[in-house]
Amino acid sequence: MSYQTGLAPARALDDDSDVEEEALVADYKEQVQYSEGGLEELDQATLAQQADDLQSRLVQAAQPLDFQATLETKFQSYDNYCGLFHYILNSEGPVDLEPPSYYWAWDVIDEFIYQFNTFCSYRARIARQANNEEEAQVLRDNPNTWGCYSVLNVLYSLIQKSQITEQLTAMRRNEDPAAVAGPYGSKNLYRMLGYFSIIGLLRIHCLLGDFSLALKTLDDIELNKKAMFARVMAAHFTTYYYVGFSYMMMRRYADAIRMFSHILVYVSRTKNFQKNTQYDSITKKNDQMLALIAICVAFHPTRLDDTIHTALREKYGDQLLKLQRGGPDSLPVFEELFRIACPKFISPVPPDFDRPEVNVDPIEHHLSVFMEEVKTNMWSPTVKSYLRLYTTMDLKKLAGFLDVQPEELRSWLLVNKQRTKQLRWTDAGLLEGELSNTSDLDYALQGDLIHISEAKMGRKLVDWYLRNLSRTYA
Amino acid sequence: MNGNGEDPQERPEQIRGIINGLERYNPQAAEVLEAYLQQQCEEKFCDSNANRALLKLYQLNPDKIKDEVITNILVKAMTQFPSPQFDLSLHLLSPSHSNPGPNSSSDLSEAVAKLRALNSQLEGAQYARFWATLDSDDIYADLTTDIAGFEEMIRVRIAQLVSQAYREVQTSVLEGWLGLDGEEEVHKFVIETCGWKVAEGGIVQVPRNAENEAKKTEIREDVTVDMFSRVIKRSWEDNA
Repeated sequence: MSYQTGLAPARALDDDSDVEEEALVADYKEQVQYSEGGLEELDQATLAQQADDLQSRLVQAAQPLDFQATLETKFQSYDNYCGLFHYILNSEGPVDLEPPSYYWAWDVIDEFIYQFNTFCSYRARIARQANNEEEAQVLRDNPNTWGCYSVLNVLYSLIQKSQITEQLTAMRRNEDPAAVAGPYGSKNLYRMLGYFSIIGLLRIHCLLGDFSLALKTLDDIELNKKAMFARVMAAHFTTYYYVGFSYMMMRRYADAIRMFSHILVYVSRTKNFQKNTQYDSITKKNDQMLALIAICVAFHPTRLDDTIHTALREKYGDQLLKLQRGGPDSLPVFEELFRIACPKFISPVPPDFDRPEVNVDPIEHHLSVFMEEVKTNMWSPTVKSYLRLYTTMDLKKLAGFLDVQPEELRSWLLVNKQRTKQLRWTDAGLLEGELSNTSDLDYALQGDLIHISEAKMGRKLVDWYLRNLSRTYA
Repeated sequence: MNGNGEDPQERPEQIRGIINGLERYNPQAAEVLEAYLQQQCEEKFCDSNANRALLKLYQLNPDKIKDEVITNILVKAMTQFPSPQFDLSLHLLSPSHSNPGPNSSSDLSEAVAKLRALNSQLEGAQYARFWATLDSDDIYADLTTDIAGFEEMIRVRIAQLVSQAYREVQTSVLEGWLGLDGEEEVHKFVIETCGWKVAEGGIVQVPRNAENEAKKTEIREDVTVDMFSRVIKRSWEDNA
């Protein structure tokens, strides 16, 4: 049996990716500078075309709604989106519009889902608090505004109309996507809306707690630096956050760590030329992902990239230590970090306004399911730290050291052994993978005698050489 | 997904069509998926992926919910332990169904709470406690009655997990874990169902397999020229 440790396979796969990343970083830098000038151009353009109502509606659709927006504004905004998407999807033939900018399509889908998300959370809060009868009545009377079915409908329709799935499949086969794009998909507007709708679905499924469907949605998108989303920083970031989170909820911690690490390293390389406003929101997500990495590393100890390890220790050093120690003391820390870092889960149907007490916040629900697994695993660090000290050990003696009943210890040993096998992504769809052993510690029991073996690590020198060589050359 | 009831071979074409297309959002599809669940319960296989599609339909159309379908899905998912299947199903339930509050408990939320407790004993490898809980209340018999061979499936799975960690086990330990009564029953089960041996003194011997060996290994680094390709290329370019 061969053991694999932490990042080794990921590195091998990522071979040569530095070159790509270099190009991508440069590309992003250009984009940022371009948009500095581009914005003015756009302003002038919109000024000149003030008469052109449609073009301004496109721009409008990508604008964030004011944080303090009233319920009326939220309803209005929903109607605007419905109108715009209806026009784009149901006109006779494809509409002849160019997206106002490269990242416009992302901004629109992003804002659309964000507003849906906040609306659902807001509605649920009104129902739970039950102290605003006026708004509750309005919400009660309009159960279909920002309805889940209509939001899903928009995203799926954009995907279908643009034939983006067919286009992406063709691209994977190295064929010309234009050949299967159809009358809609050959237009920039549809192609990009379709593409980002796929990422939008990933997000919605995750918000609804359907983590495997979330990952399945990305079947047609290859997660690499050549992917279209990688050219829009926010999209790149969002995609990896939701994919990583979904992996974590499916107990695929190694894969989750791989996702979070990838994007965090990328962000640390680009942060010097991000603009302030954008950087604020990225910093927040950045910290969330560090918290998630801390959780995943506690489940699945592994060596992290140096940059991330340093950042993690700075930001969540104390918490990480407690997580890694396990036991009941770690539980509140798991909870705390999960709350900081999880998406704002929603419930897809209107709450029960007449019985406020039955409306449980979805975050509490998902957290309680997650904590179940945390509790199941909380003794693994203890067990492992003891086993490392011996090659054979009597179970009853060890139970004595740990001050537990032998039967309890047998359970801990079984749990820890079962959890070292984890599904790990290889190179197919995100949901696929191979079962692999993720720990360097193995054991078997002969009656009450525990035989322990630890995989010996040969010294790893290549990485060290490479890093120092590149430092010398730089 | 590797034999944990995610995508079984038994899945018919019609179901594949539903869960992989937009039909999965059609409230009418619920009936087909419900019938398919019934089939899984009778024929002792599990299609968690299809069952989640059904839970998703319930999530979006709460008026379609049938309590016993939800509990059957959960029991089915439970038979796949240890795996995330049960949790993934729970995540799709409405928060009020799975977290009975002080003023808001319903039959469904109570049943879900019972099943969660049961499942956490299986996930936590507290098998003896699992059987005790199962026996402690008639409600469990009601909840698992639709699932043909429930106890046998759990028992076989436990045996399989034991074989991945143990070379030899005392009969008394196995008796508790397998929820069987008396030495004879245990020996009959391990010999006939598992194909293991019983040695003198009531020690049950599990055949060697890849998991219960705990062999010593050494991880070494394979060094290839390719790993240095960038450095070599760079030094070549710098000199040129």
